[in-house]
Amino acid sequence: MNINFTLNKKSVTIDVDPMKRLLDILREDFRLLGTKESCGEGECGACTVLLDGKPVTSCLVNAVHIDGKEVMTSEGIAKEPIGKLLIDCFDETNAVQCGFCFPGFLVTSYHYVKTDGEKNLNKIKKALSGNICRCTGYQKIFESVMLACERKPLMNANER
Amino acid sequence: MKSIRKIDAIPKLNGSWKFLDDYSYEGMIHGQLLYSTCHHGFIRKVTFPEGYDLSEFTMVYAEDILGENIVPEPVCDQPYMADKEVFHFGQVIMGIAHPNRKLLREFISNTSIEYKELPAITDIKECLENEDNVFGRKLTIDHRTGKKPDPNWVHHHKIYYTPHQEQAYLEPQGMIAIWQPKDKIMFVRANCQCPFFVKEGVEAIMGNKIKEAVIETSEGIGGAFGGKEDFPSLLAGITSLLSYKSGKPVKIVLDRSDDIQITTKRHPARIEINSWTDPETKKIMKINIDYRLDTGAYQTLSPVVLARGVLHAISGYSIPSAFIRGRLFRSNTPSNGAFRGFGAPQGFAAMEAHIDKIAVDLKMNPYEFRKINIFKIGDEFPTTQPIIENNLSDCLERVIEKSDYLNKLKEFKEWNKSHKDKKGIGISIGYHGGGYTGNGEKILNSEVKVVIEKDAIVKIYVSNTDMGQGAHTTLAQMFFEAIDHPLEKCRVQLPNTSKTPNSGPTVASRTIYIIGNLLRKFALKIKDEFGFENLENFVTSNQNKFPHEFRMKFVQDPSVVFDDENYVGVAYKDYSWAACVTEIYFHADTYQIELTKSCSVMDIGKVVNQKIATGQAEGGILQGLAYGLCEFFYKPGYGRMHGFTDYALPTTMDIPEIDVEFIHTDSLIAKGLGEIPMDFPAPSIRNAFYNATGVFIDEYPLVPERILRNLNVNKHC
Ligand code: FES
Ligand code: FES
Repeated sequence: MNINFTLNKKSVTIDVDPMKRLLDILREDFRLLGTKESCGEGECGACTVLLDGKPVTSCLVNAVHIDGKEVMTSEGIAKEPIGKLLIDCFDETNAVQCGFCFPGFLVTSYHYVKTDGEKNLNKIKKALSGNICRCTGYQKIFESVMLACERKPLMNANER
Repeated sequence: MKSIRKIDAIPKLNGSWKFLDDYSYEGMIHGQLLYSTCHHGFIRKVTFPEGYDLSEFTMVYAEDILGENIVPEPVCDQPYMADKEVFHFGQVIMGIAHPNRKLLREFISNTSIEYKELPAITDIKECLENEDNVFGRKLTIDHRTGKKPDPNWVHHHKIYYTPHQEQAYLEPQGMIAIWQPKDKIMFVRANCQCPFFVKEGVEAIMGNKIKEAVIETSEGIGGAFGGKEDFPSLLAGITSLLSYKSGKPVKIVLDRSDDIQITTKRHPARIEINSWTDPETKKIMKINIDYRLDTGAYQTLSPVVLARGVLHAISGYSIPSAFIRGRLFRSNTPSNGAFRGFGAPQGFAAMEAHIDKIAVDLKMNPYEFRKINIFKIGDEFPTTQPIIENNLSDCLERVIEKSDYLNKLKEFKEWNKSHKDKKGIGISIGYHGGGYTGNGEKILNSEVKVVIEKDAIVKIYVSNTDMGQGAHTTLAQMFFEAIDHPLEKCRVQLPNTSKTPNSGPTVASRTIYIIGNLLRKFALKIKDEFGFENLENFVTSNQNKFPHEFRMKFVQDPSVVFDDENYVGVAYKDYSWAACVTEIYFHADTYQIELTKSCSVMDIGKVVNQKIATGQAEGGILQGLAYGLCEFFYKPGYGRMHGFTDYALPTTMDIPEIDVEFIHTDSLIAKGLGEIPMDFPAPSIRNAFYNATGVFIDEYPLVPERILRNLNVNKHC
């Protein structure tokens, strides 16, 4: 089946089994290796991407679900101004440990900072509750996202 | 204490840092393990599904093993693959490979195995209650005075249970093997903690068919926590065999359900304590501890876990007469193995609860009671090792002060009188000996290598891996800070057994403590030998001397003398110490414990990188709290867990505010940090619950079902 979708702002077409998981399409067909598989059953968030702007676990999304839609992965987000801001905050706090969960956290945090951005710990906890991290105890992840929220208003208006 | 940024953070964030599954090679095929679904039995027949071309598959069985069918471990008793009889669920029977990963998965899930079933033990209590299951190593620490307990002393007898715990590293285990027939080299890309263990594992299974196994780790190792200490040897062995037989590079990446079901876990334990306390002086005078571990089907490294377990079992209290016995019990479950803490968390779980029980019975607050009994200079461990510092007591005092423990104790008591929900506050303490036990570091004889290039780039070669703990940043930092070299000119190289000397495994909180401190000394020695002030200038003006390779070995302090037979002497040269206070809110309607705040004070000696160390501690503390609160792997009537759907990991919504402070940071030596955060926090939850409700629970974790059961029992009493 031919599927057309937008991947990190470029339009692409592939011929693929309609049931193939988006996670495998990204990793195998496009060699976008930032999206990770950890649980394969929608529990951990390591495979999170944005689908039409909303975070989804790509291990539970099939090719048919993305036809005509927009997909943004951590690689795409890393090039966006808010993505860059978040990467800098995660780096500054030394939040990243093994890093396997981080592309997923980057995607979910990006969505939060972009669409809400209030420096509010409870809201941030809730926004990130679909992502599991086994290394950090989450404290430095919260700290980083709070920092990004604080710095977002300092960005140029067109970058926010 | 400079918090330099981690060298690998940005590439990990933008997705360019490669984890095992991100590597691929020309002609590579995929492998998977076919394992037993029977707990104990004889393999009768393996039936493959119809409609597949079997000639496309590469298959290896026990009989294809070219060397020995025994994984090298402290006790060599576990086969790579079962031959005729399986002894546990998850025991590998075959390795199978095919070019198409999806098709391979389907093929394996439709393959059926017939067994003649035999009796099996899978229940933790059934295993640990029955003396017939005792096997393997037994240990005793005998520090008895020979005096009979005084009839006035108060006797307490309690049995404590702790469950399995799953490491749940986010990156599942994986391995790539590439057979290079021309050089007779088996190259293995491994996601592991201990490249030299993997090398032994591959060489043992391949026998003399290969000249050498060369192991290189992947750039990223997605967490390990002990789980990637010994299982990788088995996985690498079977992957290598598949590569040898197929002539192609083979990659095996376990999916989560395979990983969780067949790899090692923390040992469940049963710890029985008899203690006698003098009601006048409030001193514990005598103690007997019976420490039992459920090893699973094989001993593998359990004897080493047992050693650390008995050595930490008394917690931080000086008790004149102590007898500790440790034993292993066999069951029909996958071998349990290493997990951060390595036998110590089980002991603290029991002893730290026991202390609160005695305190409450003596009508004392748990802090006052601890204060009387805690290690002080002049006391000794049950092995007779002298206590030479009051740092544990300093941790306790500081955490009591900063958590406002005494006021909160009163405040919560008052609040609880008029509320159905309850608030509670609990203490726990802990410690962890750094490095291998006793003579272990002497035997390991670790070596490190440094190459200084013509452009003054310093390349550090160690076999210790960075699995997220930031070791490669901190190790480089310890080297360049010692000689004031620019940080961007100092790099730890990716561990590769053909280029890196054996600086030992990445375990036992030894990476910074043993290897880091060695690198610091090494840097100063090089400076001394060459007599430079500034390395860059020296290299520029002495180009003919570079590149230059240096090597240095670890020399154990002569004060470490330990009798491995009788467990007498200095078991560890340096200990890290900690104390913790946790506050809980108990929801009486849902039987749920909400953690509201956890405050920890730790002495890990010199803190090399404040942010890295704090992050490590916070992560470990959450694993520790979860051990006491929500994690378990086996449930009677349900069986073992299958993935992240039924194994409950803490999410962002379940965690308290975690506060960490390091004290005595002016020390010259950086002590172990990896494990101690896992050792001490869990008991504080149980103690806080006891404080809140007056109900004492002798088993982890404190999930609502268990709380409900205990509350009911209490009502009936
Ligand atoms: S891999 Fe998709 S949620 Fe875990
Ligand atoms: S950093 Fe390792 S799982 Fe999050």
